[in-house]
Amino acid sequence: MMKPIRRLAGPAILALGLAHLALPAAAQPRDALTLCQTLEPPILDPSGGAAAAIREVTYGNIFEGLVAYDRNGKVVPALAREWSTSVDGLVWQFRLRPARFHDGSAVTAADVKFSFERAVAPDSKNAQKWIFEPIAAIATPAPDLVEITLKSFTADFLDGLAMGDATIFSAASVGKAATEPVGTGPYRFVRWQRGDRLLLERNDNWWGPKPALKSATFRFISDPQAQVSALLAGDCDAHTNLGAHEAVAQLRADPRLAVTIGRTEGETIVAINNAKAPFSDVRVRQAMAMAVDRRLVNEGAVSGLGTPIGSHFSPNHPAYLDLTAERPVDLAKAKALLAAAGYPNGFAATLRLPPPAYARRSGEIIAAMLGQIGIRATIEPLEWPQWLERVFRNKDFDMTIVAHVEPLDVNIYARDTYYFGYQSPAVKEAYARTKTARTEPERLEAFRAIQRQITEDQVNLFLFMLPKITVARKGLTGLWPNWPVPANPLAELRWE
Amino acid sequence: MVLFLIKRLVGLVLTLLFAALVIFLVLEILPGDPAAMMMGVSATPESVAALRAELGLDRPAAARFLEWLGGFFTGQLGLSYTYRVPVAGLIAERLAVTVPLSLLALGLAVAFGVTLGTLAAAHAHRRADLIIMGMTQLGLAIPNFWFGILLVLVFAIGLGWLPAGGFPGWAADPMLASRALLLPAIALALPQAASLARITRSTMLETLSEDYIRTARAKGLSRSQTIRRHALRNALIPVLTILGLQFSFLLAGTIVVENVFALPGLGRLLIQAIGGHDLILIKSLVLFYVATAILVNGAVDLAYGLADPRLRVGRA
Amino acid sequence: MNPAWRHPSFGVGAVLMALVVGAALLSLVWTPHDPTVMRIMARLRPPSAEHWLGTDQFGRDIASMVLVGARNALLVGLVAVGIGLVFGVALGMLAALYRGRLLDEAVMRGLDFVFAFPAVLTAILILTWFGPGLVNAVIAIGIFNIPVFARQARGATLQVLAQDYIRAARLAGLSRMAVMLRHILPNITGLMIVQGSTQFAFAILAEASLSYLGIGTQPPNPSWGRMLNDAQTYLGTAPHLAIVPGIAIAITVLAFNLLGDGLRDLLDPRMKER
Repeated sequence: MMKPIRRLAGPAILALGLAHLALPAAAQPRDALTLCQTLEPPILDPSGGAAAAIREVTYGNIFEGLVAYDRNGKVVPALAREWSTSVDGLVWQFRLRPARFHDGSAVTAADVKFSFERAVAPDSKNAQKWIFEPIAAIATPAPDLVEITLKSFTADFLDGLAMGDATIFSAASVGKAATEPVGTGPYRFVRWQRGDRLLLERNDNWWGPKPALKSATFRFISDPQAQVSALLAGDCDAHTNLGAHEAVAQLRADPRLAVTIGRTEGETIVAINNAKAPFSDVRVRQAMAMAVDRRLVNEGAVSGLGTPIGSHFSPNHPAYLDLTAERPVDLAKAKALLAAAGYPNGFAATLRLPPPAYARRSGEIIAAMLGQIGIRATIEPLEWPQWLERVFRNKDFDMTIVAHVEPLDVNIYARDTYYFGYQSPAVKEAYARTKTARTEPERLEAFRAIQRQITEDQVNLFLFMLPKITVARKGLTGLWPNWPVPANPLAELRWE
Repeated sequence: MVLFLIKRLVGLVLTLLFAALVIFLVLEILPGDPAAMMMGVSATPESVAALRAELGLDRPAAARFLEWLGGFFTGQLGLSYTYRVPVAGLIAERLAVTVPLSLLALGLAVAFGVTLGTLAAAHAHRRADLIIMGMTQLGLAIPNFWFGILLVLVFAIGLGWLPAGGFPGWAADPMLASRALLLPAIALALPQAASLARITRSTMLETLSEDYIRTARAKGLSRSQTIRRHALRNALIPVLTILGLQFSFLLAGTIVVENVFALPGLGRLLIQAIGGHDLILIKSLVLFYVATAILVNGAVDLAYGLADPRLRVGRA
Repeated sequence: MNPAWRHPSFGVGAVLMALVVGAALLSLVWTPHDPTVMRIMARLRPPSAEHWLGTDQFGRDIASMVLVGARNALLVGLVAVGIGLVFGVALGMLAALYRGRLLDEAVMRGLDFVFAFPAVLTAILILTWFGPGLVNAVIAIGIFNIPVFARQARGATLQVLAQDYIRAARLAGLSRMAVMLRHILPNITGLMIVQGSTQFAFAILAEASLSYLGIGTQPPNPSWGRMLNDAQTYLGTAPHLAIVPGIAIAITVLAFNLLGDGLRDLLDPRMKER
């Protein structure tokens, strides 16, 4: 194609040739990226707060742990090159790879010991202390060798270490982790313009293969409409989890963009106060379940992009049982159950909702659906602090809607003091089996037993798994389609 | 004269102090524990207590109040609960959006308001006057946030000329940043321009009926010449003082409009701080807003008093 | 024909108000659809023969919601103005009666103080404290109205008190209370109605703003401001959601502003020339 042009001569043709050269230059693989996400992290220290937005920015980018989750939820090596366990499963040995913090200091076994002991200390602000509680002792026989002894066999110990809460810090820089983090990951922190964006640049001393992107900007856009506009205008190269579900069709029609509907680990449920009358009566809870059409809730709250669930368990997990057909919508039967429980005319109750759009929207629909069987639900919107204080901590609620986003969090049904006030020896026994099971089939069967039991008892109303809607410019590859944990590892991204 | 000044200044300081006290009391008894909020759902009571201690929530309220007040002079307003950075810095950062936005809106409001008001006065009781006055009534009736939404619908989504929201920052490209402020400023300016136009019209008509204007007209100057050469300047003095009172509405307007356009200004920070239960941040922000309103009104009041000795005696 | 109707502001204002009040009354007995019933599979539909103004994100009929929203808006205005009127006029008259004394100073200083807080900010603070909701929002707006009415009432009362016949009445032994009720109140009523009309418009705007921010009226009660909040999420896909509630707010506010202006002119012919 270029040949006939080259044969011609003259300044005008030269200019044309230059123009041709300029075009491929602009289309060359880019090495910068603007990644947009909905929420801004309040701080950047994943060991100092529970906000998912912290992990969405830092996990696998700024900070790393001994091990990490990959995009399929499998535990893979990170700062630990390899590891081994004793036959009884009590002693774990982690061999560290040669790695450096962004300030140049080497990652040593002492840093691991420091980080884990800090996490479990009485004044620790770590949100997932359970990860570290089984630890009896941490020894550092060599600078690159960590030996952890557990108090008792813990099947999910390694899974815990892969979470952002088990990040490895250095004692010298941990104090600034919240605002000017110094980690070990493939990207280092540059600048944070609060309320708008955060800039990262490639750490060329990272232990892994050199990432394709030289720099990356995280932008925080909470308004759904603004998210769409920013994508259409090219202000965002990708959005990690779009809030504007209704705009999916519009964005799909845009030839410049690629839309992927994936899953998170967020089981969205109507949590019911099982300890409080009239909800303490299983018939009332079952009646409620028969009044709620989860497919319509899914449609109205997240445009049908979520995956309906019939129990508190993720369809991503091999132990998943599809229990969605268990208690089909039947208003007449629901009213009969309510009458049998002593509420022929229904009753009034409150529905306290935290701020996310999925909760507020589902809440309006649930209130309308419960109204059909005479349960008059008053909606009370709460900010997160009030929700945590009143609903979660003081258990002062009738019903609420929330997504439980931690992977494999069905253990909450075995806790005595958890906010929805459910007590079941059967679930506790089954949960204990998941911890002690020595074979995988045994462990999966224990998880299935829990699912069946909590659906039978209709502890809560199980609605749907929160979707993850990834929208990216065509040519950008490597974004995680699903979120086994909320994370956007930049090292896996490249422009084609 | 000096006595009047001192009396007003003391009153101003007392009002500010009282405002600070009220804000502190209201916000200290808000339900909900900010430490618990930050720690999330699976935190233990010990770690929440540790955070409370770190944030100084276990110290007596009086000590915290005095320290906070002192902070307005030293710039040490404490660390934001949620962001863990100094509050003073956060506020300063956000002022870079809110101040230009307010000034742009004020500029637009004055330009359009005074022009339209003068035009209406010049054509008093004729068709142009009726049309302009009708428009100002509409301007006062349209909620500024809805106007903002309409502007987005037309200029951002429909025509694609201007961004729908967000703010790229001054550092990257000042041109782009100004463009991002244009639609919000227009939305913010609408009710201000409408009421300024009405005030300009009525003070202008009042001025036009005064003797020296009649003299000017008698000398043979046309109505519009008279307005430009004589009346405008005199009519603008009361308009400027009204502007001070309008400022408080403008300030409150930024809270709503910044949320329409997702601008990282003070107003959005306030709503975010409320959402995050960031008491230290809310307290300082609210006092900042209230103090600005009180100070601007106080300054206008003083200027009024100095200009018009009758007002010094007592309220009419 | 009564000359009042020929006053353009008053006339247009009265017609618009009749429209809004009519819509509110109509919604008590009839709406095209039940405004609370959701048809989720038919959500975000554009206007059609069945749904004149389309459906919202839950498939509810927007026309019906807008009609019921009129009721909500008028209720907000009535209560917020009522609070301001009752407390404001009482405080203002009291201050005037004790002019220059400590009580006057204390009341007026206190009200100045409330007035110094930007209204929306006061409301946001109150709603943060007591929790979001229509009742709290209306109280917050009402509180802001108190100093407005108090200032007006105090000034007007002072004017009436200065009249000779009041002095005569006082000299004749009429008690303060009797003077207030028999002579002052009837005299300042007109002015208070004018102010009330303006504050009514302000209250509707304020409630719309608060509901737009998500801290005013809560679902499932239809509120124009909250409808606009919802609409913004769907601006790209369903722009029709954002139009009608805004027009409804503007018409209602316009109605009361025009009525207030017209009444002022009619009550005080000297002002007409301005």
